[in-house]
Amino acid sequence: METERIQESTEGYTGDRVRIYPVTRIRGRADIEVSFTPNQEVVAARLRGLDFRGFEQLVAGMHAYRVPQVTSRICGSCGSFHQLASCMALEEALGCEVAPGSRAFRELLCWLWLANSHLLAITYLALPDYALPMSDAAVRNISGIYMIEDEAVNRLASAQSAFSEALSLLCAMPVHSPAVVVGGVSSVPGSDDLRKAGEILASCENDLRETMRLVEMLIKRNAEMMYTGTPYRGNYLAMTAGGSPSLLGDRIGVGSFDGEVPGDMEPGELCSSIKVEPVPWSYIAPVTLGEMSLMLVGPLARMNVGYGSDTPWAERECRSCREQWAGPLNREFFAFQGLALEVIWAWEKACMLLEGDSITSGRGFKIPEAGAGEGAALIDSPQGLLLHRATVDSKGMVDDYQVISPLQFSYNLLNEHLSEVALKIVKGIEISDVIAGRLQLAVRAFCPCIPCATH
Amino acid sequence: MYLATVALSACGGCHSSLLSSGEPLVKLLAENSLSYSYVLADQPNISPADVALVTGCIRNARDREIAVEVGRTSRKVIAVGSCAVYGGIAGARPVEPPDIRGADLPVLGEVEPIDSVMNVELYVPGCPPLPGLVLEALKSIVEGYFPLHFEGTVCSECSRRGGARKVRAWQEHPAGTDGEECLLKEGILCMGPVTRGGCRAACPVVGTACTGCRGPSDMVLSSQLHSLYTDMVRYVSLSTRSREDRTERDIARLLEYLYLFTRSDPFTRARVKEEVSP
Repeated sequence: METERIQESTEGYTGDRVRIYPVTRIRGRADIEVSFTPNQEVVAARLRGLDFRGFEQLVAGMHAYRVPQVTSRICGSCGSFHQLASCMALEEALGCEVAPGSRAFRELLCWLWLANSHLLAITYLALPDYALPMSDAAVRNISGIYMIEDEAVNRLASAQSAFSEALSLLCAMPVHSPAVVVGGVSSVPGSDDLRKAGEILASCENDLRETMRLVEMLIKRNAEMMYTGTPYRGNYLAMTAGGSPSLLGDRIGVGSFDGEVPGDMEPGELCSSIKVEPVPWSYIAPVTLGEMSLMLVGPLARMNVGYGSDTPWAERECRSCREQWAGPLNREFFAFQGLALEVIWAWEKACMLLEGDSITSGRGFKIPEAGAGEGAALIDSPQGLLLHRATVDSKGMVDDYQVISPLQFSYNLLNEHLSEVALKIVKGIEISDVIAGRLQLAVRAFCPCIPCATH
Repeated sequence: MYLATVALSACGGCHSSLLSSGEPLVKLLAENSLSYSYVLADQPNISPADVALVTGCIRNARDREIAVEVGRTSRKVIAVGSCAVYGGIAGARPVEPPDIRGADLPVLGEVEPIDSVMNVELYVPGCPPLPGLVLEALKSIVEGYFPLHFEGTVCSECSRRGGARKVRAWQEHPAGTDGEECLLKEGILCMGPVTRGGCRAACPVVGTACTGCRGPSDMVLSSQLHSLYTDMVRYVSLSTRSREDRTERDIARLLEYLYLFTRSDPFTRARVKEEVSP
């Protein structure tokens, strides 16, 4: 860990600041900045995104048909969701309808991408915190866990390989897949490939079952030690269809960590109330929704909404978690359980689609007529709500493009929570490795995806 | 051996690809020691390593500082991904950073591949390279054998049928309608003929045009007489039975896509004989 002490006074802080760089085991590069009063008391802590990427500018002036291939490179973990959201926004702008078979295939890919992304996050990013919470930083990583519990690691790796293999079979690549295009999908695989993918997924059921039990056990073992005593406040938001979370739903479920009755809203209503409020100290620009500034999106938000009866395994696991902990799931460690639970959720959904007849093989897209228009697409990605907006001119060239990523929705809550944790545990300006580790743990609980947020 | 992974300005796709290797990667990491890696471990400080796997491009002063330090402290460096090898998509067009005066955040500069500041032992281009390729590169250095080298182009791995056919119009949309014919025959500017293979022709086999993310093939890099542009024009003219000047006119508006991943690489740029907009 590298800590940097700064005495320069900006934005009203008159004391010292300590920067913890980089935050480890997250996606992308960020640091945590803790500000102190002249008496060395904590004022606030915040996560700073350090890399500006400029994708919105990069695609302006490009032809709409080519844009999704570029926007998929916003993020290496949820890039395929950016590609899909981009296609959907441009299809709306160009007035194009996607055939139901292609829509179903896109949905299948979403579930596989989500499971793949979550399994990587569990194995490499989150598991070390829970499996080796008291160990030295030098061994708190996947190799350290493998030394003492190779079976659990192999199970996780094997489950992840199954999803990765299914993705390679259906869309050529697990990361930045080229299959999703404006107008549909470039090709829908034949029934043989779909059957094979179903068999691959069926083969990892036991690994998922054991992984879920492992996660549950680790949370029970470490919950007390890991809880900072600072529950989340504000709201949680997740895309829903028929009242249950859905990656490509038609409503937005909204609930409150204070226990207020949950409600919902139209995606259009959410889009029109979004206000981007850039801050001068980070390349991540937080958003507010009308009066709502503290909100959480992603696995934990979806878990709070509760899974539907069409995915009985995920629903059962979620119910049992809620019964055990009672009340809203508002603590950091629930995110870890959320990741494992959502792998099961995605597995069930993917199996259902592979067994059904909604995916029809053959040509999967229709090239829309290039024409002026505006479009927006809101979807739920592994890390939460993701919005792409596009304005296209009469020649089909992109005039204006906007991306709002999951971390931008959760950013205010993350920083407020981080400040609360810092106020509780940081005593004086000398931040030990252990305390820095706890602050990083508080950040990791939000599953932050920095490349998405600094697009 | 002491291993390390570093991401400069990157999307994280190359790390995702590496991690997707699953059990063989975990075994390799367990058999060796992780010197530092902010993605995989809690030891982020750069320290000496036998092999450092670097992803991402140099885009600001901090990237440069990290890259120089990694180059200084590592015995061998593997550049993974188009950003590390060629500068990647970040260099496709110039972008204006937001006004951050007084913010103490890294300020954007020119996009550069990593070999502008360090010696690179092995290049693994791709956006991202397939998981097997990244693991193979790492293993080859750890175990001391010569890694796979893909001399051929994407076309050499593609199952679509080539041959000459006249093209009436070149389309912007990257997907083709026919399941078996070469995409070029449909008027889709697929960069397969000039792009390095090794990706199992991932894009054309699912019906979308190759975007050239693996960079120029050996043939293109073999002499100053070749460039992505000139070779592409020559091949397209042959396969569409068209005169070269006519081809140049026809695909002029699609030129930008030829250099989507390699525009900021000085070596590749040196071979660009024509002006590429914007």
